[in-house]
Amino acid sequence: MMFEVNELILKKAKELGFGDVVVLAHEQNRRQVRFANNEIIVAKNWHTQKVELFAEYEKRVASTTLAALDENTIEKTLQMLMKSVKNLAPKEDYYGIAEGPFKYKDIPETFDKAIVELDEPNEYVEVAINAALEEGAERVAGVLYTDHNKLYLTTSNGVEAFDAGTGIEISVRAFIGDEESGHGTNSVRILKEFDPESAGRKAGEIAKLATNPIQGEAGTFDVVFDPLAFANLLSYMSFMTSAFTVEAGFSFLVGKLGQKVANEKVSLKDVGNMPNAYGTRKFDDEGVPTRETKIIENGILKTYLLNTSFARKYKTETTANAGLLMPEAWNIYLEAGDYSKDEIFGEVKHGIYITNVWYTRFQNYVTGDFSTIPRDGAFLIENGEIVKPIRNIRVSDNFQHILENIAALGKDLYHVHWWEVTTPVFTPYVLVKNVGITKATK
Amino acid sequence: MHELVEFAIEKAQEMEASYAEARFEEKNGTEIIMKNGNPEGLGILADRGIGIRVLVDGGMGFASTNVLTKESVSEAVKKAVKLAKAAAKIRNKPIQFSEESFHQVSYEVKMKKDFRDISAEEKMDYLKLIEEKVKETGVTTPMRFLRYGDFMWHKIFMNNEGALVESLIPRVSVTYNLVVFEEGQMEQAPFVQRAFSGGLELIEKDQPWEWAAKDVKALQKLIKEGQKPPEGKVDVVISPEVAGIAVHESVGHPYELDRIMGREAAQAGESFVKPEMLGERIGSEVVTVVEDPTVPNSWGFYLYDDEGVKARPRYLIRNGIINEFLMNREYASYLDLKSNAAARALNYNREPIVRMANTYLAPGDHSFEELIEDVKLGVYMVSFNEWNIDDRRFQQRYIGREAYLIENGEIKHPVRKPILEITTKGLWSSVDAVGKEIEFYPGTCGKGEPGQGVPVWMGGAPARLREVVLRR
Repeated sequence: MMFEVNELILKKAKELGFGDVVVLAHEQNRRQVRFANNEIIVAKNWHTQKVELFAEYEKRVASTTLAALDENTIEKTLQMLMKSVKNLAPKEDYYGIAEGPFKYKDIPETFDKAIVELDEPNEYVEVAINAALEEGAERVAGVLYTDHNKLYLTTSNGVEAFDAGTGIEISVRAFIGDEESGHGTNSVRILKEFDPESAGRKAGEIAKLATNPIQGEAGTFDVVFDPLAFANLLSYMSFMTSAFTVEAGFSFLVGKLGQKVANEKVSLKDVGNMPNAYGTRKFDDEGVPTRETKIIENGILKTYLLNTSFARKYKTETTANAGLLMPEAWNIYLEAGDYSKDEIFGEVKHGIYITNVWYTRFQNYVTGDFSTIPRDGAFLIENGEIVKPIRNIRVSDNFQHILENIAALGKDLYHVHWWEVTTPVFTPYVLVKNVGITKATK
Repeated sequence: MHELVEFAIEKAQEMEASYAEARFEEKNGTEIIMKNGNPEGLGILADRGIGIRVLVDGGMGFASTNVLTKESVSEAVKKAVKLAKAAAKIRNKPIQFSEESFHQVSYEVKMKKDFRDISAEEKMDYLKLIEEKVKETGVTTPMRFLRYGDFMWHKIFMNNEGALVESLIPRVSVTYNLVVFEEGQMEQAPFVQRAFSGGLELIEKDQPWEWAAKDVKALQKLIKEGQKPPEGKVDVVISPEVAGIAVHESVGHPYELDRIMGREAAQAGESFVKPEMLGERIGSEVVTVVEDPTVPNSWGFYLYDDEGVKARPRYLIRNGIINEFLMNREYASYLDLKSNAAARALNYNREPIVRMANTYLAPGDHSFEELIEDVKLGVYMVSFNEWNIDDRRFQQRYIGREAYLIENGEIKHPVRKPILEITTKGLWSSVDAVGKEIEFYPGTCGKGEPGQGVPVWMGGAPARLREVVLRR
């Protein structure tokens, strides 16, 4: 039924004289349970059916969303779009959309009927809350989601593609006093992999460990970033890997293709077709099958994330990251190293373990100067051991400097996706040398 | 559409919801993006749907749909009720709402120059004007991201306690990111926005292109003439823009009662402020902070909130004393108070939660010259780039973009990246004088899950901070 609507829109758009046309229909069923102070504060359900339309007329580009799908609305919308776009100046660097059709492979662990049929997820919330309480937490807050999405893509270049996906995830924050907290998350695509207890337990453990923190000191420290904390930085970095943000002046990677931007230990990928990852899809917004793209390999910047138009502009191949206006990462993946967690801590004589951060902001996107604020437990490390919890510090540094100073990577990867980390990230524990730490002075 | 909204309420009551509200929202508008002189594309915004929120057995459920049929709305109501019932089982005590008096009212912000009558190419001319004005300055600006946006925001709110509020609020904005490259150095004015509720006459009066030209010239001057700022204990005069971000982050947010009581703990965090701190001193005598949704043509404008409660100015700090929190019906009831109309939702598919609208540092009695004239050594911070604050809203930092040295009562050369990193109490206790003139700057305030970035204004009068530690 959705493909018929897509076909109708495509046909009418072509009749009106549009060139490239992309019709992407979504059907979304999403459920949320939010909790705080050990109780459910609200439960929500979203049902959304919408069609995103991208249309090009002689290098003039327009997009809109159709919320109603009757023939009259479709015709009126297309006419209005043509009228609006006709007299605009052209986008001189527009180079078209991908030539289909393509063949798509099923990606394992992206759809689970058990999630679609799950009647009542509240027991998972109770499991997470109880795990945190057992570890010593007093107040537990967080959110659980279940997702069921369907995508129908039709383009004027011969693409007709369908994907259905499911997911379930939880984010848990545990508190003891005012300043003692910990955070854990778990995001999966199939129900049997779901482990809300581990998220609650981690949150509780860190909160307990953070009891009675002292004011942290400013200076330069070796820092062990928990996967939750490093995922935050990588999520921001993923935004900066898009060719669009590079051109628009929002990226420290501008002008650095082929150059060293990170320690040679560092290889960073975008993996659009990764099993059991929250951002995985079979195809991008113009129908190109998603794939693995090496962004940084052994410290060298290999590519920005591209769609077909950007790829043609730069005389290369698309990385299957459309976004028709702005290429976007699917799942950011930092290659694991060979250190165990204990070995990473063992590398630190005098340093800090940061379990989570938030509010990452830039003084200058192009140079990469930024700061971010540790939240939840942060700890002093002496001779490889956590010795005491600290509070009220800030990481004040530079993105490229952080990448260049990576000294050790853990061997286990963690999948992080939550309120602060909007692009799903896979990252190990990461040791960064000589990180700038500041604190408030009055 | 009124009929469908009413249908949702009736349906919820049939299903034994003790409280039911339905909110229809429709947004229609235009977005135009230009990057480095190229028109990137035209976006037509057309979005609408209904959100239903209910209380059943003391649990809260919310469901939304954008399929506007009776069947679909009925299904959404059923889901909301079912979710509320299940949620009620995992509660320590039932959710309550304060009692309020409600109105049946309709209001509209009028446009003198209606953006619905203007073609896309004329709207793009605003961006072309920025391109031209920046070019005219002669400052090398290799990266330029420009965005024009307008939308009409139509809402119909109804609840089972007699509220019916319909509103039509148009919003217009221009945003730019400009990267200046001179003498081998990059400086940036990122995500600078000018934004209003009303028509295009407001953009034309404000002239964002002049702001853009001023910004690139200031960045060029910073590169050519900028020196290190003084370090250590000095006086700092903050502009209305910097005062605005400071009141927003360290006064508005920590005074949101839902946050204080832990509802947002897993996301936006808690607050260093506790309910029993009402009446306590947090700043000097000259500090008064007001939160007012009713400021005409403001980016955060509304007259009734998304629970149907009539809006009024809220005095968060009065003469240095914590005076009032921001409240919706649920959290007001836990302190036996009335809502002060702080419930806002970003769209039909979001629950209303406690939010700011327009937050400002109230004017004092000093002229700008008086603020500067007896500063021996200090910095005047005009604008900022990097800023952040911890999730209890106690230790924040603002780094100046455009800033100048003050020496012996005079404004001198630009200074590079002065860093003010200070606690909330330290900041507001250091203010010894506040200027007379107020200005507002727009922002998108983030909170809630899923995120709800709502339009706000931040601003107020300039202020002088005595003996604060400045770093570089």
